Amino acid sequence: MPLKIEKTFEVGQPIEKVWAFLSDPRKVATCVPGAQITEQVDEKTYKGAIKVKVGPSVTDYTGEVQIVRLDPQNHEIEILGKGQDVRGRGSASMKMTGKLGALPDSGTEVKSESEINVVGILAQMGSRVIAEVSNIMFGEFTKNLQARLQQPSEVPAGQPDSAEVKPIKATSVAWEAAKGVFRKKP
Amino acid sequence: MIHKTSPEMGGMGHSVKRKEDLRFIQGKGNYVDDVRLPGMVYGQMVRSPYAHARLKSVNTEKAKKLSGVLAVITGEDLAKANLAWMPTLSYDKQMVLATGKVLFQSQEVAFVVAEDRYTAADAAELVEVEYEELPVLVDPKKAMDPDAPLLREDREQKDNHIFHWEVGDRQATEQVFQKAAVKASVNAFFPRCHPAPLETCGCVADFNRATGKLTVYMTSQAPHAHRTVFALVGGIPEQNIRVVSPDIGGGFGNKVPVYPGYVCAIVASLTLGVPVKWIETRSENLQSTGFARDYHMTAEIAADREGKMQALRVKTLADHGAFNAAAQPTKFPAGLFSICTGSYEYPTAFCEVDGVYTNKAPGGIAYRCSFRVTEAAYLIERVVDVLALELKMDPAELRRKNFIPESKFPYKSSLGWTYDSGNYEAAMKVALDKIGYAQLRKEQEEKRKKGDLMGIGISSFTEIVGAGPAHTFDILGIKMFDSCEIRIHPTGKAIARMGTKSQGQGHETTYAQIVAQELGIPAADVVIEEGDTDTAPYGLGTYASRSTPTSGAATAVAARKIRDKAKKIAAYLLECSENDLEWEPGKFFVKGAPSKAKTIQEIAFAAYTNIPPGLEAGLEAVDYYDPPNLTFPFGTYVCVVDIDKGTGEVKVRRFVAVDDCGNIINPMIVEGQIHGGLTEGLAIAFMQQIDYDESGNVQGGSFMDYLLPTAVETPHWETDKTCTPSPHHPFGAKGVGESPNVGSPAAFVNAVVDALSHLGVRHIDMPITPWKVWNVLKEKGVTS
Amino acid sequence: MAKKQLVRVKVNGRDRQAEVEPRLLLIHFIREVLELTGSHIGCDTSHCGACTVLLNGKTVKSCTMFAVQADGGEILTVEGLIKDGQLHPLQEGFKEEHGLQCGFCTPGMLMSSYALLHNNPKPSEEDIRWGISGNLCRCTGYQNIVRAVQFAADKIAQGGAK
Repeated sequence: MPLKIEKTFEVGQPIEKVWAFLSDPRKVATCVPGAQITEQVDEKTYKGAIKVKVGPSVTDYTGEVQIVRLDPQNHEIEILGKGQDVRGRGSASMKMTGKLGALPDSGTEVKSESEINVVGILAQMGSRVIAEVSNIMFGEFTKNLQARLQQPSEVPAGQPDSAEVKPIKATSVAWEAAKGVFRKKP
Repeated sequence: MIHKTSPEMGGMGHSVKRKEDLRFIQGKGNYVDDVRLPGMVYGQMVRSPYAHARLKSVNTEKAKKLSGVLAVITGEDLAKANLAWMPTLSYDKQMVLATGKVLFQSQEVAFVVAEDRYTAADAAELVEVEYEELPVLVDPKKAMDPDAPLLREDREQKDNHIFHWEVGDRQATEQVFQKAAVKASVNAFFPRCHPAPLETCGCVADFNRATGKLTVYMTSQAPHAHRTVFALVGGIPEQNIRVVSPDIGGGFGNKVPVYPGYVCAIVASLTLGVPVKWIETRSENLQSTGFARDYHMTAEIAADREGKMQALRVKTLADHGAFNAAAQPTKFPAGLFSICTGSYEYPTAFCEVDGVYTNKAPGGIAYRCSFRVTEAAYLIERVVDVLALELKMDPAELRRKNFIPESKFPYKSSLGWTYDSGNYEAAMKVALDKIGYAQLRKEQEEKRKKGDLMGIGISSFTEIVGAGPAHTFDILGIKMFDSCEIRIHPTGKAIARMGTKSQGQGHETTYAQIVAQELGIPAADVVIEEGDTDTAPYGLGTYASRSTPTSGAATAVAARKIRDKAKKIAAYLLECSENDLEWEPGKFFVKGAPSKAKTIQEIAFAAYTNIPPGLEAGLEAVDYYDPPNLTFPFGTYVCVVDIDKGTGEVKVRRFVAVDDCGNIINPMIVEGQIHGGLTEGLAIAFMQQIDYDESGNVQGGSFMDYLLPTAVETPHWETDKTCTPSPHHPFGAKGVGESPNVGSPAAFVNAVVDALSHLGVRHIDMPITPWKVWNVLKEKGVTS
Repeated sequence: MAKKQLVRVKVNGRDRQAEVEPRLLLIHFIREVLELTGSHIGCDTSHCGACTVLLNGKTVKSCTMFAVQADGGEILTVEGLIKDGQLHPLQEGFKEEHGLQCGFCTPGMLMSSYALLHNNPKPSEEDIRWGISGNLCRCTGYQNIVRAVQFAADKIAQGGAK
């Protein structure tokens, strides 16, 4: 069942800097917990892997990330990621559109819309777990993005540099899910 | 004539306390998972996460290397022994372990065997499977589209159509509809649900290399049929297979099919020479074993303006999942669905059903349904209510106007069934009086003025059970008779064995009561055994409410054969002619001289110590009973609901169930069956569905989402009865276990729709969740 | 594999002990190590209550605990209800009132009812239904189970065994 997630957040960096970072999957991967880009296949296609740990349950996905559309004029990017669990526990795919907007204080607003589809054991838990896991991962992502963008040095191309894989605590998923019941939806 | 026996004797009609209770209340039941044999090892399935995918590779190396693992079996391994596929009860075939592709999420892909269940679970995690995803088909309405993915590449026919079945007169029915003054129709979906007995399925397969005998302890509602299937499929000589169904923790049809787990455990035991236990988890049970329903139905009634029904037309799309593993008699791919004419007279009717494959768990028939009778009863009782709304007629009155009158029985319906007996009006009267129908309608009128929502739902169902006569009924070719063997011991006690298998219905008590009734041996002195194929006579098992109509009948007939021999012995002992003797339960006496008598105990003793010349010793008989017809229990259920306008929650205020199952063996047990079945009906109507998203992920694959009512949700059930015996059954009984599940969903749904009909609502599909109701209320502008 | 640990418990009045893996569930410990198969497994999500036993006087779902967590404790299972060959009033009640059909939920029901009556010797029907709401039954529709518990409550009040 495709799960739609919309997130908007702000980065205190100029729009071109943020654009340069976000339009490079290798750089983006450094901010996603448990993700790495392992190979660039062509201009638009990359091979990658992501390890998702929820409590004691581990899923290792390997797959492809494809830049479907890149519009530097309007600062819009559309990417498609698809992966299969290496042990055959399932698959996941994500279509994400990101749009940047310059803010008056010379920061950048990032608007993202994602459609996530999970097949397999994880999906049986229903959207409640997927949504919370996605929320938690997205939270980590934005935190890491802020931190990386503030770093003086750039990560050299070709060197996969994966963010530390912190297992997502099952309790935090449960807590987030429970909170979600009462959270006011905008 | 049914003699009255004393409570001590415990014949028909007595609420004898159950003999089987003694072990269960002490925790000394012997269920399959309680079976522990020396050297026993454990099996666990590896299952597909995908609903439709090519199987590229199954890598078992890491799993095999784990310490404590004895074997990892794949589809490829089974294919070498021609066992990767097995026949289903519907003459389709089903993969035991996947080869080539997988067709539903949770499908069996590999079987791991290890020394203990934890190691087996570890090893299952180490099996690496490579899949290539294929497009998924979960909407049965799209199954026949030209661009629908082809699921079953193994069949000659290259589409997703399984069968088309029709009965009745299409033309005649069509003509009536064309001229009809009034027409009513409903599209009623009966959602996929699952029987979920509290004990999941499982087995211990024990192949003894020294003796060549395979013993399978298994959760089986039909042990003999399973033994024969194992013999034919596995090539093991049937005399070397023993199937033992020990205590079973609920069946409800879930334990009729043969599952891959059984076959894999047997193969593993044959290979390893040690007992192999396989017990599925609840999630596996909900996601891969025999589901129920999933019928997309349309019914139309043609009637005149006075409300006299003239024709019924029914069209159904049946979603059978990936393999047609529905458990039903061979000639009936849609089971006994053609009972959908229900309790009413239709001069003409037509019914057609099309079955299709989808990427869902296989099966189709289960959950206390007597082969699709639940679907049929639900449909007719729903569409009759819609007709009542159309005619602005009271639903009770409309029913009464169209009931098959008592004088017309045996009644041949226009879809081909000969109903044995019925008195629908009487049952309805008891129900309506008990619930205070007229008063409730007045209350509803008052409440409607205030904007409160209250509904009354009626279901006057007729069902069809006791399959069945050999001329029409067989499962995989085996005719659907059933059996009983009785042996009386010298001291006048008895043992009786049957081909059925109780999963909680109380056979150890009720069958003993039949013997008590027929022979006058106290029920307490009669031991009943079922479930061991080495000792019990051949039978087709217990499901579809068939035990009383078939084996119950066989018990009576066998007992009467014994009585015939007993009469000869009595005549010999009393030195008179058989014609001078009269019988009352427990003894033969000389007509006119009641003190000249011999008790059954004296006769039994004589059968071993003072045998009449020319007669064999012993006092026993066996009967294989071929029922002349099915039986047709019926009833009227009335449900009163109140709907909370703020939350959409439906509260069942009262529920009256009046059942007629003919002559009753044990009223206490019948009442218990009704309570249980009504609770299942409540669950189906309000809270249960096994659904699939577009990727084929199971929603409702565990008790987190598949809801079972607790004592808090379950209302207080009020039960009553009428008694219209079956004319063809040896003691006029009909069977009753499934009636409550057959008749109640319509009562619940009719009540909810009735609460909202003044707002223009005609139908709401099950499960009727508060969310669904609330949305209807919002749409109609009446939420608070 | 983690090192095995010694678990010492008093079960139905008897001292028992065994070396077990830390991840061994209490229900498996009871059924397979102690060989008391009266408590059952009916689900994998802690919903059904078929595994209910008493640990240190409180009902627990033994499928949701590790055996090592019970170390040093006192466990009462359904096998411990019978005293000197005499059925507990609850067991009698279940038989008299037809409170069971397939019997699979029965041990869990008995243990939950036992705890209920200890805490509330005069329960109303509502109290009983809430008291057993952690135990699922597919066969009886609960009505006769309620009657069975009421039978036991009455019998105990009249001086039957506790």
